[in-house]
Amino acid sequence: MTMRPITFFRAGSIDEAVAAVSSHPDSAFLAGGTTEIDLLRLNVVQPTLLVDVNDLPLTYLEDVDDGGVRIGAMARMSDVARAPRIVERYPGMSQALLLGASEQLRNMASMGGNMCQRTRCSYFRDGQSPCNKREPGSGCSALTGINRGHAVLGTSEQCIATHPSDVAVALVALDAMIRTIGPDGTNAIPIERFFLRPADTPSIEHPLAHGELIVAIDVPALPVARTSRYVKHRDRASYEFALVSVFSAMRVDDAGNVAELRLALGGVGTVPWRAHRAEEALIGRPATPENFAAAADAEFADARTTPMNEFMVTFAKRAIVRELSEVTS
Amino acid sequence: MTVSTVAPATVEGGVGTSARRPDGILKVAGEFAYSSDLWADEMLWGATVRSPHPSAEIRAIDITAAVALPGVYAVLTAADVPGARHYGLEVVDQPVLAIDEVRYEGEPVAIVAADHPETARRAAARITVEYAVRAPVTDPEDALSRGDLVRHVPVRRFASAGGTALTADVVVTGTYEVGMQDQAFLGPESGLAVPAEDGGIDLFVATQWLHVDQKQVAACLGLPAEKVRLSLAGVGGAFGAREDLSMQVHASLLALHTGKPVKMVYGREESFFGHVHRHPARLSYEHGATRDGKLLYVKARIVLDGGAYTSSTPAVVANAATLGVGPYDVPTVVVEAYGVYTNNPPCGAMRGFGAVQACFAYESQMDKLAAEVGLDPVELRRRNAMTTGSVMPTGQLVHGPAPVADLLALVRDRPLPPAATGDPRERPGGVANTTRGEGVVRGVGYAIGIKNVCFSEGFDDFATARVRLSVVGGEPAVLVHTAAAEVGQGLVTVQAQIARTELGVTKVTVATADTSVGSAGSSSASRQTYMTGGAVRAACQAVKATVLARVGRAGELALVDGKVVASDGAVVASLVDLLGNDVVEETVEWRHKPTRPLDPVTGQGDAHVQYAFAAHRAVVDVDTELGLVRVVEIATAQDVGKAVNPQAVVGQIQGGTAQGLGLAVMEEVQVVDGVIRNPSFTDYLIPTILDMPPMAVDVLEMGDPDAPYGLRGVGEPPTISSTPAVVAAIRAATGRPLTRVPVRPEHIAL
Amino acid sequence: MAINQSTAPAETGLRGPRGEPVTLDVNGATYAIELEPRVSLLDALRDHLDMTGTKKGCDQGTCGACTVWMDGRRVLSCLTLAYSCEGHQIATIEGIAQDGELHPMQQAFIDHDAFQCGYCTPGQIMSAIALLREGNATTDADIAEHMSGNICRCQAYPNIHAAIREVRDADDGG
Repeated sequence: MTMRPITFFRAGSIDEAVAAVSSHPDSAFLAGGTTEIDLLRLNVVQPTLLVDVNDLPLTYLEDVDDGGVRIGAMARMSDVARAPRIVERYPGMSQALLLGASEQLRNMASMGGNMCQRTRCSYFRDGQSPCNKREPGSGCSALTGINRGHAVLGTSEQCIATHPSDVAVALVALDAMIRTIGPDGTNAIPIERFFLRPADTPSIEHPLAHGELIVAIDVPALPVARTSRYVKHRDRASYEFALVSVFSAMRVDDAGNVAELRLALGGVGTVPWRAHRAEEALIGRPATPENFAAAADAEFADARTTPMNEFMVTFAKRAIVRELSEVTS
Repeated sequence: MTVSTVAPATVEGGVGTSARRPDGILKVAGEFAYSSDLWADEMLWGATVRSPHPSAEIRAIDITAAVALPGVYAVLTAADVPGARHYGLEVVDQPVLAIDEVRYEGEPVAIVAADHPETARRAAARITVEYAVRAPVTDPEDALSRGDLVRHVPVRRFASAGGTALTADVVVTGTYEVGMQDQAFLGPESGLAVPAEDGGIDLFVATQWLHVDQKQVAACLGLPAEKVRLSLAGVGGAFGAREDLSMQVHASLLALHTGKPVKMVYGREESFFGHVHRHPARLSYEHGATRDGKLLYVKARIVLDGGAYTSSTPAVVANAATLGVGPYDVPTVVVEAYGVYTNNPPCGAMRGFGAVQACFAYESQMDKLAAEVGLDPVELRRRNAMTTGSVMPTGQLVHGPAPVADLLALVRDRPLPPAATGDPRERPGGVANTTRGEGVVRGVGYAIGIKNVCFSEGFDDFATARVRLSVVGGEPAVLVHTAAAEVGQGLVTVQAQIARTELGVTKVTVATADTSVGSAGSSSASRQTYMTGGAVRAACQAVKATVLARVGRAGELALVDGKVVASDGAVVASLVDLLGNDVVEETVEWRHKPTRPLDPVTGQGDAHVQYAFAAHRAVVDVDTELGLVRVVEIATAQDVGKAVNPQAVVGQIQGGTAQGLGLAVMEEVQVVDGVIRNPSFTDYLIPTILDMPPMAVDVLEMGDPDAPYGLRGVGEPPTISSTPAVVAAIRAATGRPLTRVPVRPEHIAL
Repeated sequence: MAINQSTAPAETGLRGPRGEPVTLDVNGATYAIELEPRVSLLDALRDHLDMTGTKKGCDQGTCGACTVWMDGRRVLSCLTLAYSCEGHQIATIEGIAQDGELHPMQQAFIDHDAFQCGYCTPGQIMSAIALLREGNATTDADIAEHMSGNICRCQAYPNIHAAIREVRDADDGG
């Protein structure tokens, strides 16, 4: 496949980039291109103007708020993964980055772009099948199709497409903030509000105005994250999306109770999934395998499965219990 | 590598040495011209309109809008095919372009040539095809009951005359399934067709068999074969997928129609529709044995889904049937193998060719039987191992070496790999850190397989070689010319090695394969080193005889280091002096010993040329709670008769083994209602370097007296038994039955 | 800023969709060619600069055959637009040998028979040299992890491993 003709604009400044996209109805930002170019070529997305933001001075990492980090939106995954302050303060985030894609893709893909990564649902990507995300109102082929890798949490009757990002799982656990600049000025969006569940409008994935550009991701200081981890279960040893992934950061107090917990899941949700129910079920309670299992059960109480993907519920629960048990031991 | 027999004295760069690939420098420099790299001035680009439906009647095709597009030079449909409108390797049944109906998703319906690839694709998109969609037949059993049979091969052999009652003290049964595997070569189908002044065509293409392409293309173009000249362009992998035609006729039609060179290159998605796949199979087995594990009978029913057209299904069915009980002595055999037509993607050749599917089933059965009689899996196999002098279920005597027990012993006796260290990267899930040892169980599994080498069942299987000896730049030089396709297996290396050994000349060039020399047959069935190697050797010997005849005393003389040498070592003459400006050239058509057809009722007959054997031991660590498998090590032992190029032999064994590993744990073309759901490397997973375990290889060299240098085909055997070995190891770790490949985490841990 | 197709490109900075002049710096040489903005770096190299050493295996970032370097970093040329490469240094397999002398990694691939069909080889070599430069090839597991973005269907992986190991160790030894 080859993409349709496009007009190209290389933005020299953030203002220029925002103005270029917001003044053109069929336009899109182009960052690392690892999703955008692929989907353009598959005719899944069809902007006629691409505004290249790769030259923008947004590749920085800097400290904010006594131990937090601000990550420029154009910082590349490979650089962020190996930045000492990320490795030290948020090792689970570094691991999530390094377990995504391949080194070549990590060298290309930007952090801002990663937040806008699209699903790998084959019905979305084939450009033809009914798909409410691609063609609102056309239906969801995955509901009755090959849906082994589809989401069990946050689904709707309109869409069960899995969110593919690894690092976003870490970021939802860390309560990151997405900073944007758009035609109406600057904005800061708490990350959980940045990823919209499909509900009745699966085609709307983020609360971004047309022309609103992610400029940075703020990761707040969080001492417990210094022992965070990210584990990823997948069908191939590398270069493959998650079946189930788990980000965890936990502190157990001297009495053996869970004092702090950040838990998020990848591969199972329509959005990077913060496991609030599990967190609530555990905080203040003894850190025991039985409680971990009960918390995992609580998280998946509303899971919606298909015959092909119901195994994911079992796997995800086991992965959670194992992960928290390992952190405890 | 252990070598059981001492090789004869070797010539530098000759047979038995790990000579370097002559195309290696070009390949590492990016200068090797693959079929997708070709370019001609003024060339056009072709594109193909394909059916979105697995089964439909074509009511109308409207090409008006496509023709009207600026830059479009031709839009052709079935009506524009000047010659035969169908092609096929053996059975001519596949339309060049669909005629009134389509029978699989992706079937070519129309073709376009334009001055830019994007214009060609846009034009293709503007072609309107009106389909009346039919319900596809996608279940092979349905197809069988409807009578949509490609071929039924029975193999029936009884220990005692007339005895059909199958009874035994110990009986194990099982039904197994093998998913559809894709060859997934990395260089998609592509080629360049150039119209010639004589009204013919010059076609530069990546293929496995130039002459079978030539025959089919010429028939479809309505041209005599000599006007359809093929040259081999660089081949980016084959594995069986280039044995059938893809773009050959289409590009040629467009080139003849427009009078301009036409290049066609498939994209990755299109490639999944552009070639045949490995047959998915359902296999039901019953093994009867004595209490001490001696096989009494094997009864099997094998159904292979051939998809929409015949391709090589008849031969695949024959392989599954005749090799269907494995390398074992079985007194009574009743195998019924069927290949059927469905509206699924066409299936045909892939490395292992019918033997892969059967091996997964019979080796799974052998493990089941071992457990039933309380024997170690290797011991059970040893007790039933065939040997030289054994009789195949077809009645064919195995007169060459059959070191089945030796190969099993080699893999069994290798030291087992140590338990995983504390490094999480050595555990299932690897770097993703999914376990620190919880739930991890180690398993060890064994399997052995059998494969026929060369073409079978009475096929007139031959290869042609032309060898020229002359003096170039003051030194003797040899030019070897064949039509044999180098597909990465190292055939050009091997041809040069043989010439060096036979003629004692270092400087050997292998000409580009083309149809100006006779057919070499296909680069498939593990046959090319045997066949084209045999032809090159024979042609070299003819050249040598001619040269030595000039000296007289031919029987006593040898060619060594560019000189004619007497039996006492004395130099009689130098080739440079002897040849002067003369050129000695010989062309030889070489055949293996004839084979015979199978009896259509009993399946009896000396159908195969040579048998090859490989054994595997797989060691896996399985996360039994989360289903992840880490293959820790695979040990392979294979008898290659003679390792013509030891380094290349090991490469073939490792590569083939890994492709079997892929089938075991990840590779499957998912087909729903006749539609491929994963035509991309996003969704069709191929093992990465991280999925490939250390691979220990033992190479036996037990010469086959009938084969050149005693060699035995190498390419396919390692692919066959690695799949069941890996699955056996996972079974050993988990206790799960695992009757279907690929095995997924949910099959292991739910 | 005004976005208007009829406005001259020089005024708006908008380019395309028709072909326009582009300057690409490849293997140390500068090339001025005319391209449409939608053309990938891979197609620009192969179809417009006659550099076919970089291979197209999937055209969607799933095989690694098209690996090149941009400013010394390995990237996939299939998912990179040529227009985005202006002002950056591109290196391809054609520029790896120096003065007719193979790069040690190229030689090691030959010596270890680290390929069969060779189609993935240019990408493997571009990736392998970059890997050593990145300094993440200390152990065999490191090599495997960081080479996993380059698929070899002939599965010559053990020999690819061996070739990279040899060059790494030679580098370490000075």
